[in-house]
Amino acid sequence: MKNKNGKKEAENKNDGKTGLKEIGNPLARVFHEAHAHKRVVVTPRLPRKLERLRALPRKHFHPLQHDLHAKHKLSRKTLFYVKEYGAHSNVAGTIIKESIKILLLASIVSSLGGFALENIKAAFVAIVPLVVLLPALNDMIGDYASIISSRFSTMLHEGKVRGCERGWWKNAELHKLFMQVLFLAVFTATLGAAAALVISSASFAVSALVAFKVFAIALIDAVLLVTVLFFVAIAAGFYFFGKGEDPSNFLIPITTSIADFGNMLLLALLVTVFF
Amino acid sequence: MTAGFNAGKTGDKRFFDRDFREMFSSQLVSLTGGVIAGAALAAYTDKLLLLPGMLIILPGFLEMRGNISSSFASRLSSGLFLRVINPDKIKSKIIVGNLAASFFLAVFVSLVLGVVAFAFNYFFLQQVFWKIVFLPLLAGVIANAIEIPLTLAATLYLFKKGHDPNNIMGPFVSSTGDITSIAALLIALAVL
Repeated sequence: MKNKNGKKEAENKNDGKTGLKEIGNPLARVFHEAHAHKRVVVTPRLPRKLERLRALPRKHFHPLQHDLHAKHKLSRKTLFYVKEYGAHSNVAGTIIKESIKILLLASIVSSLGGFALENIKAAFVAIVPLVVLLPALNDMIGDYASIISSRFSTMLHEGKVRGCERGWWKNAELHKLFMQVLFLAVFTATLGAAAALVISSASFAVSALVAFKVFAIALIDAVLLVTVLFFVAIAAGFYFFGKGEDPSNFLIPITTSIADFGNMLLLALLVTVFF
Repeated sequence: MTAGFNAGKTGDKRFFDRDFREMFSSQLVSLTGGVIAGAALAAYTDKLLLLPGMLIILPGFLEMRGNISSSFASRLSSGLFLRVINPDKIKSKIIVGNLAASFFLAVFVSLVLGVVAFAFNYFFLQQVFWKIVFLPLLAGVIANAIEIPLTLAATLYLFKKGHDPNNIMGPFVSSTGDITSIAALLIALAVL
């Protein structure tokens, strides 16, 4: 054992400071890069530790990960990537296995909203500006859901908002986030509705009343959904953070699914009410 | 409400701060793509939207393209920043694995969407309309044959030019995804 270690140490010396010759190229590059920025604490045992990490089963959390992060200052993201897509993993298989459930769920939830719209299809397709607006509105609400979720998760992690804090609605950062997203939602919904009316005017008679209704539908849809998504993100964020989970992993799928489903459902409802 | 907006002690106190500007510009790009896709959809309403079950497929189909390509771009970006992916070497294990997985996921989810729409037609409208199963499947293949290589090329290009692909690829993928999805649905309809 001693001899083996001695050999390794000799190799390490030959390889300069890092001693990563025996480790695959990508890892060596990660390491060299980090070392160049003087972030990583280098010891002769580091290469072997990284090699051991790569060989560990993908889902197995090993104290070695914590050791590499704490002692050698390698970021958790780097360690995660090394383990997730290392030499011993099937890259395509890993991605498919991890993504397929959430993708199917998100697509089916989005389609459920489509059921409502399918039922009033005749009325819906007759209003050309709404057909033009549909993909833009869907994208927009989904994007705002992602923004609210990711920004609120970061606030929780940074301690700017404490878990289950009483009077969280008085928090200035949260106020600012809500007002910014609401302002953007109103602005982009108005802009989208205006663009849809201009584009559809070539084939559709746009009267003042129709224009008013299209603007009203776009604005009510955007404001109502952004408000609902904001409160859902906060409630779910506090819940998952309180349970010791990372809210980033849950909030985006939850809020984007609600955004898609809610958008189609609300559109169907608003079209029925207004037309 | 502008400069003196009541904000956190540590953050930027301005309402129209850097975050706002980033969100605003990305939303403008996304909105432009969405409106172009919507215009194409409106132009072919009689051919596309009037098919039974099409409004069930459409939201999921548009959503899927963004979800798959955004995750693909995000994984590539992480790999590029960690130097695990070499931007000049496309035929690496990680990139090929990512390409294969993204393509498989898109085709599989498209097929499931088609089956869901077929079931809706069968049970609620009492119609047997097989085309609705193959339409998203073929459109998924066509759209991804364009979108996935485009995402790869754009991510690598942006990284090489010194930009952070994470900030740009989200709106880029959602806007180009909408356009390619609608175009692919129309091509698939013409083929079938």
